[in-house]
Amino acid sequence: MASNLAVAVLNGIVWGLIMALIALGLNLIFGLLHIINMAHGALYMLGAVFSWYVIELTGNYWLALVAAPLGVGLIGLALERGLLRTIEDQPLVTIICTFGIMLVLQQLVLTYFGGTARRIALPIPGRFPLFDLQYPVMRIVIAAISVSVMGGLWIFLNRTRYGLWIRAVVQDREMAVALGIPVHKVYMWTFVLGSVLAAFSGVLAAPIVSVDFMMGREILIMAFIIVIVGGMGSLWGSVVTAVVISLIHGVGSIFVVPSTATVFSLGFMILVLLVRPQGLFGE
Amino acid sequence: MKEGNGKKSVHEVMGTEFSRRDFLRATAVGAAGLAVGSLPFAPFTYGAEQPIRIGMIQENTVGATAYGYWLTKAARAAVAKLNAEGGIAGRKVELVEYDTKVNPAWASSMFKKLILEDKVDFTMGSVHSGVQMAVFPLAEQYKMPYIGGGAMAAGLTGKDAIAYYTRIHTHARMQAAAGWKWGFDNLGKNWTFLVADYAWGHSLAEEFGSRIKAAGGKTQTILAPQNTSDFVPYLQKVDPATKVLFTAFLGAPALGVMRQTVELGLHKRLQRYTVICCTDGVGQETVGKESAGAHYLSYYPRYASQVPKELHAFDKAYRKAIGMTDDAKDASDPKNTATVSHMWTMWTTPYMIKLAVEKSGWKDSKKNADFMKAFNTLKVKAGPWAPQGDLVMRENDHQGFHDHYLEEVQPNLSLKVIARVPKEKLMYDAPVDLRSKL
Repeated sequence: MASNLAVAVLNGIVWGLIMALIALGLNLIFGLLHIINMAHGALYMLGAVFSWYVIELTGNYWLALVAAPLGVGLIGLALERGLLRTIEDQPLVTIICTFGIMLVLQQLVLTYFGGTARRIALPIPGRFPLFDLQYPVMRIVIAAISVSVMGGLWIFLNRTRYGLWIRAVVQDREMAVALGIPVHKVYMWTFVLGSVLAAFSGVLAAPIVSVDFMMGREILIMAFIIVIVGGMGSLWGSVVTAVVISLIHGVGSIFVVPSTATVFSLGFMILVLLVRPQGLFGE
Repeated sequence: MKEGNGKKSVHEVMGTEFSRRDFLRATAVGAAGLAVGSLPFAPFTYGAEQPIRIGMIQENTVGATAYGYWLTKAARAAVAKLNAEGGIAGRKVELVEYDTKVNPAWASSMFKKLILEDKVDFTMGSVHSGVQMAVFPLAEQYKMPYIGGGAMAAGLTGKDAIAYYTRIHTHARMQAAAGWKWGFDNLGKNWTFLVADYAWGHSLAEEFGSRIKAAGGKTQTILAPQNTSDFVPYLQKVDPATKVLFTAFLGAPALGVMRQTVELGLHKRLQRYTVICCTDGVGQETVGKESAGAHYLSYYPRYASQVPKELHAFDKAYRKAIGMTDDAKDASDPKNTATVSHMWTMWTTPYMIKLAVEKSGWKDSKKNADFMKAFNTLKVKAGPWAPQGDLVMRENDHQGFHDHYLEEVQPNLSLKVIARVPKEKLMYDAPVDLRSKL
């Protein structure tokens, strides 16, 4: 029982932190651009796929962890400049547009990467004992990297001029324009940042799960749940909610069938939305 | 002759006078020459009967795409070979293909399109049990022969069987009959089934599990959604006394459960066993070192070197026709691994259609019932069209029987056949009798 609980808690936190990174990117884009980005899961998948190619070429996972998100960031830049900017402030159209982008990206990957799942070897293969079970070291490293990236994001948003601009545009777009903040540039780089975060999560998750062209589909649904429960636009809310939902699922799995434990997570979401329709940390 | 706009005429440019009669004569001579020249090479001539159209549905996008790719490749190669050999009853064979998108509702609409718009004569394909079930009502309604291609739920030729459906290959019950005893005797008597939470996974857990329990063994079943990414919550529920972990997932989760079993160190205290469906179409280099020591139940040896000697020649010709190397890679893409255990179904099916058409004297849909009766009494001998070996159809439940294999993942990750289970050992009592329903 103790070993199961330890694994459930530890694993819940690890998955929660990975999910938090994905949800952060989604929330960042929604909070600023008011775009419900249906292609976010596809960008996560693209990060994992790019990392597979980089590792095939260089054999270096850590290089892939940097290069793949940058590559996806460039795609995000092209999408924002080429497509999303032209339909700015039309939420319904952007939903359809990003849904289309998702399909295109998935089918492109299917065409060139193939339909077979691929595997990325664990860059740190060790395990450590945890009561009766063992737990992979790499998952702890992934959790640590996620926390570091979130810390970096916090510093970026709160301690840099660009972060200040982003916060200013979120608060009052007209005033920001009046004060000379380059709003379109802020939009563009925020979308790129959101894309990079999605791709980064994909690279982090790739050695645990397997890489395939549909891997972003389920993740997207969970990311949306996290963003809604945490509060749309609240980055802190996304992080807390991601970890809480993962913990509920993990610990619940000890007592009931894991599939049923998903009901607990969804029950938590319903409860939160009944009490606080704006989400846990939403305004 | 000058044209009205002052430009030169064609005749002036060519420097000759060329009348309409000259043109017709030259064209007629040319056409006759072409026709005569091509006579020895064209098996189908003007005035021949309409082609026989085979409609095929496969999983080409969304999911199970490796299956869609390879089964389509096999079907196309088979139809090309059939046509090169004179077609079916002297009629050319055409293949009409649609994607199921792994969506039963969509697949159903495509199946209807095949029947009503494309006017196909026979249908085949799909490795997805849910898709196959969805098109059953249409096959029944239009009395359209439908030959499945890789779906493994036992009920398709059992409790859910219909008169116009037939399956030439294995399924969960047959796999259990083939694989449980070997696993029970060689791997252990205490089993945990960690399987996908839908018909196929349930079937495997039930069919293997009931036999294990009947033999005095113990079983535990853990169901997980097919799209599970993180198996840790499921793996931590595996009974510590378990000796055999039997898993059944498709695609990425199949790799995930294998590697996460190793990540948690469970492979050190239990044996891993599964059906090849989980990793068919996935190269061993992709499955990775985590699979070393695992056992697969397969329906066709992946590597040419592991194929039984008496089938070598047939296997060689079959691999060449499809474009598959001896180590089961795409001849034009060494990173693409074939779904070897499943794809032979689409190679053999067009030939079996030919045999059944000739046996029943089928000309059009009026004799579809006779076609089905003929198809379901076929006994196909090992040969160029049956590289998997002898295949026997059973008329009662429209089920085919063939040999199975047990393969073990070696330390170098290659698959080695360690046992062959003859089809005679897989015969179970037919759960339904469809003979009076045609």
